[in-house]
Amino acid sequence: MSTVLDIQHLSVAYNRKGFALEDVSMQVPQGGIVALLGANGAGKSTLIRAVTGLLDLHHGQISGGQVHMLGQLVSGMPAHRLVRMGMGQVPEGRLVFKQLSVEDNLLVGAAVLPRSQIKDGLDAVYHLFPRLLERRSQAAGWMSGGEQQMLALGRAMISKPKLLLVDELSLGLAPLIVIEIYKQLRVIGETLGTAMLVVEQNANLALSFAQSAYLLQQGRVVLSGSAQEVAASPEMKPSYLGEDKTVKGTA
Amino acid sequence: MAKTVNTPQSNRAWLWLVLWGAVLAYLPTVMTERALFGIPLTNTQLLNLGLTQINLMLISMLGALSLNYLTGCAGLISIGHAAFFATGAMATAIFDNQLGLPFPLVLLAAALAGALVGTLAGLPSLRVRGLYFVLSTLAVHYVVTYVFLEYQFKYFDVVGIPYATPRIGSFEINTPVRWYVLLLPLVILVFMGLRASLKSREGRAMLAMRDHELAATAMGVDVRFLRLKAFGLSSAIASLAGALFAYYLSNVTSEAFNINFAIQFIAMIIIGGMGSLSGSLVGAAIWLLLPSIIGGLSPDSGSNNEFLNKLLVENRAQLVQLIFSLLVIVFLIFAPGGVAGLSIRLKNRWTAWRNAA
Repeated sequence: MSTVLDIQHLSVAYNRKGFALEDVSMQVPQGGIVALLGANGAGKSTLIRAVTGLLDLHHGQISGGQVHMLGQLVSGMPAHRLVRMGMGQVPEGRLVFKQLSVEDNLLVGAAVLPRSQIKDGLDAVYHLFPRLLERRSQAAGWMSGGEQQMLALGRAMISKPKLLLVDELSLGLAPLIVIEIYKQLRVIGETLGTAMLVVEQNANLALSFAQSAYLLQQGRVVLSGSAQEVAASPEMKPSYLGEDKTVKGTA
Repeated sequence: MAKTVNTPQSNRAWLWLVLWGAVLAYLPTVMTERALFGIPLTNTQLLNLGLTQINLMLISMLGALSLNYLTGCAGLISIGHAAFFATGAMATAIFDNQLGLPFPLVLLAAALAGALVGTLAGLPSLRVRGLYFVLSTLAVHYVVTYVFLEYQFKYFDVVGIPYATPRIGSFEINTPVRWYVLLLPLVILVFMGLRASLKSREGRAMLAMRDHELAATAMGVDVRFLRLKAFGLSSAIASLAGALFAYYLSNVTSEAFNINFAIQFIAMIIIGGMGSLSGSLVGAAIWLLLPSIIGGLSPDSGSNNEFLNKLLVENRAQLVQLIFSLLVIVFLIFAPGGVAGLSIRLKNRWTAWRNAA
């Protein structure tokens, strides 16, 4: 199986002080869904920033290692060029363009498409999220959190990315809506064959969704493997998946 | 694109267009003859306005449009707009007074010079954000006005740079009506051009960049390129306006482009509504015409009361400024979105009222 995203021995530092990531290696295979797990401050967002080229906006620097996408070296490339190469992103906190209409938000996402494909792209998004069609001319900032997340997802998928990076999809959303959006995410993966790297706080949810997973702790990969292996591993259980009531009782 | 269908809405839009066209075409006649359809009008009925004020307003509209494009649409706050006007005035002195180029070419050269200086002035935007960037535009203001001053003293004198009457071929633009005929289509052209640019793919990307820079970058928008482009285009228009301003006044010194001059454009776009192109037109109109209108409303005092006399005659200018600024403050308290925001609110209320009825 060929890899879409290949991270080799990546190290990142902010303001040249201390390492936020140290010697991280990770692969996302073609069409695969990979979960990236870890507590707050483990380096999940830093990893996404390093891959998407947005690190320097946060005063961070890649101090070692390389990132390849589809066989091409992408570390150090400006963010907007990566999008043109097929990297889509659903940023943490959704970050929709609040003053623009829903459709304009999608059209900004479609800017890398040839003009002839824009209409089909819009139709595909509206088909997946009929709610967005209802609200197409409404300002995005006036929508609920769940709708904004749908929009952020639609905005990223409209350009038919080969790799989709999804950062904290569940942040601040009701559990039912999160599950619904994850279902749509799976549909996107199946229809477009998009490979995904999904950052998620909710480890249970992520492990049921992904095929494989990596666990970050203090900037290092401490655990990796298939979703079942990771879910069953002893390191994972107590701190990320929640302890059993019975175990808690005995403690 | 959308086909032209004769819906009631598009009919109404056409009606408005024809009406506005008629008003704008008839306006210079009213102003010069000081009469409406042969009926003479008093100064108060004409709102104490003349065509000169209208023409200066049209020039300011170019400045307000370009600043709103930069600040309201691209999200870059600049207090260096006087500098770009000064660039235009200086380019005019170089290309007309010194090199003798014909008027249309001078305007073109002024716009290009503005684009060049603007792109250079926009370079700090690639590295600094927010307040620091505003300070860098302030620095641009002082650098350019200093260069203007040195240039003025070296080649002209303290009195200022004199500008010749512009001519297209043998046609001299020497009356307010001729200026009006030149300026009005220019303002319409710039307005339509900017509006088209905002509706384009790149314009949408620019609005997205204003809303959220990081998200726009993540969507594949080249933020740095768009910033420089917005700056270049905006200052090209401001510089063009500066050239016209210099020609219109026929004599300009460096003091004309002081910091107040720059700030008035910010005031115009705040009054008109940030990010609204038509709002900038209204804002410029209010800023340029309202003081004169207020001045016309106060009658020439024949009162014996010495204090009142002093207030209304000797300190008239200050009084007008006072009333004007109070009006602006009150207006902004009740309509923080400017005229554009207000009109949207009224429109919403109107549709709600009609739907309820």
